[in-house]
Amino acid sequence: MATLEATATAKSWRRRDRRATAGLISGPLLWLVVFFLLPVGFVAAYSVGGIRIFPTDGGLSLDDWRRFLAGDSIYLGLFWKSVRMSLTVSVAVVVLSYPIGYFLALCAKRRKYVLLLLIIVPFLTSYLLRVLAWKVILGDRGVVNSLLFWLNLRAPDDPLPWLLYSQFTVTLVLAYVWVPFVALPVFVSLDNLDRSLLEAASDLGASRWRTFWRVTFPLSLPGVVAGFVFVFVPTIGEFVTPLLVGGTGGYMYGNAIQDLFTKGLDWQSGSVLAFFLLGVVAALMLIFGRYVRVQSVAG
Amino acid sequence: MEIATSKGALRLLRLFFALLVVFLYVPILILAIFSFNDGDVNFPLEGFTTDWYRRFLTNPLLIDALRRSVVVAIASSALAVALGVLASFTLLRRRFVGKSAASALFFSPLVVPYLVFGISLLVLFTAVDKFLTATFGVYFGLGLHAVVIGHVVVSLPYTILTIMPLLERLSVSLEEAARDLGASPWQTFRRVTLPLLMPAVVSSFLIAFTLSFDEYAIASFLAGTEPTWPVYLFAQLRVPSQLPQLVAVSSVVLIASMLLVLAAEVGRRWAGRRYVGELEGRPIA
Repeated sequence: MATLEATATAKSWRRRDRRATAGLISGPLLWLVVFFLLPVGFVAAYSVGGIRIFPTDGGLSLDDWRRFLAGDSIYLGLFWKSVRMSLTVSVAVVVLSYPIGYFLALCAKRRKYVLLLLIIVPFLTSYLLRVLAWKVILGDRGVVNSLLFWLNLRAPDDPLPWLLYSQFTVTLVLAYVWVPFVALPVFVSLDNLDRSLLEAASDLGASRWRTFWRVTFPLSLPGVVAGFVFVFVPTIGEFVTPLLVGGTGGYMYGNAIQDLFTKGLDWQSGSVLAFFLLGVVAALMLIFGRYVRVQSVAG
Repeated sequence: MEIATSKGALRLLRLFFALLVVFLYVPILILAIFSFNDGDVNFPLEGFTTDWYRRFLTNPLLIDALRRSVVVAIASSALAVALGVLASFTLLRRRFVGKSAASALFFSPLVVPYLVFGISLLVLFTAVDKFLTATFGVYFGLGLHAVVIGHVVVSLPYTILTIMPLLERLSVSLEEAARDLGASPWQTFRRVTLPLLMPAVVSSFLIAFTLSFDEYAIASFLAGTEPTWPVYLFAQLRVPSQLPQLVAVSSVVLIASMLLVLAAEVGRRWAGRRYVGELEGRPIA
């Protein structure tokens, strides 16, 4: 009798416990389902004409998708151009931030966190302002051109034309903006490296160079991949930097999406472009996701 | 022997580090210099003035935009932290079916471009409003509430990432002791877990705050007729005569946010050191 009662209490306890868990998780879960998954679902539905918002919206059809994927519009070409630009930026940023992470994790010793903070702080300041700063530096009467005039390398009425409003500018500014962010995952992966492995390699007669390429670098790859992905994803969807410093040459895929929603008011094509981008990002995450530990971006 | 680098390589790395710091800070410094320049934002410099700072204090549109951003940032980070505490606590302390799926969902906003997320919310709100006006004659409209909703979603992963590591190191035995002494689960959480979590709660709030205060892409689609500071800033960037004034405000905002971030980081590290022994359940003495 007593045992029966005990099992009954235990059962009701477990039920109560389960209900408590459901209650605790429901808040954040509902928020993301309603305000994250649902809107993405709406975009997917809208891209095939599953919902109608404006009187001009057509019915259910895959025409927009077909036109986009067949390359009949400019958008697919624009997508590949943006992929090239984002790849350039991501590679440049990883190459620039790897030595920084290496220096901080393996050479800086006691002051490494202070120095790391020095690198990260700019990332946490106004994005628009950091982009604007380059407008001031690269403008026709900006820092670089003024310097060239002053050194008599260029005539004052003939500033370097490609400095501002070009693909080069967008790439440079995006790299500037993202370097601090990537230094972090690289640092974390190198900082967690077991030093005795390096000693073992050295004891076994490997040179520093060989130790780096055969031990250190392979073990830091998760940080490198994480950094790469966390730059590639936001830059491929970038539209603010090209708007400010890109001109027509720096126009990116993200600008096309924004224009379709704000100027062209062709939300259906815009949804096609947006959902395609999301699909590409999701595919990337499926391939690289297991190397990416999200923890690495929080230090 | 130093294995990581030779002497020469170390010198090169140091030099590279110094150059990168210069590369990172010089553009920001140049902007700050122009905020004191008695002219436009082009060379040559014309002379020293604090006029731009005085002028922005009397610009009502600009002050309104700043105020809106503060409101949005406070509201969205408070919500994101509350949801983040719930999510971290459940993920670490409870067992349930679908935990890995839930955790993947919580972190997925990290890998969705803000542009795509912004327009997704725009489509959702417009569609819902259209339905509501057609059936009930009411609508939500766009505005600060929409921006808050979006910012909570993108801040949530960062708050979870800040809170989880500390909660993970907090020994469960402290919570069990409280339960054994007769505290209810809520009392245990309120009197034991939450106070110990405070450093992470504060620093995640500050991270969410800075993220929201500076966020442009999502806000630009959802703010409607109530521009937040970045949205206002972006719109004004096309008016050259406004530029020095905007640079002045931004320098102030920049320094304030740097201090905020520094405070958060110092606080987190300090709390981390202070608790190490106690949190892991080791005897204190």
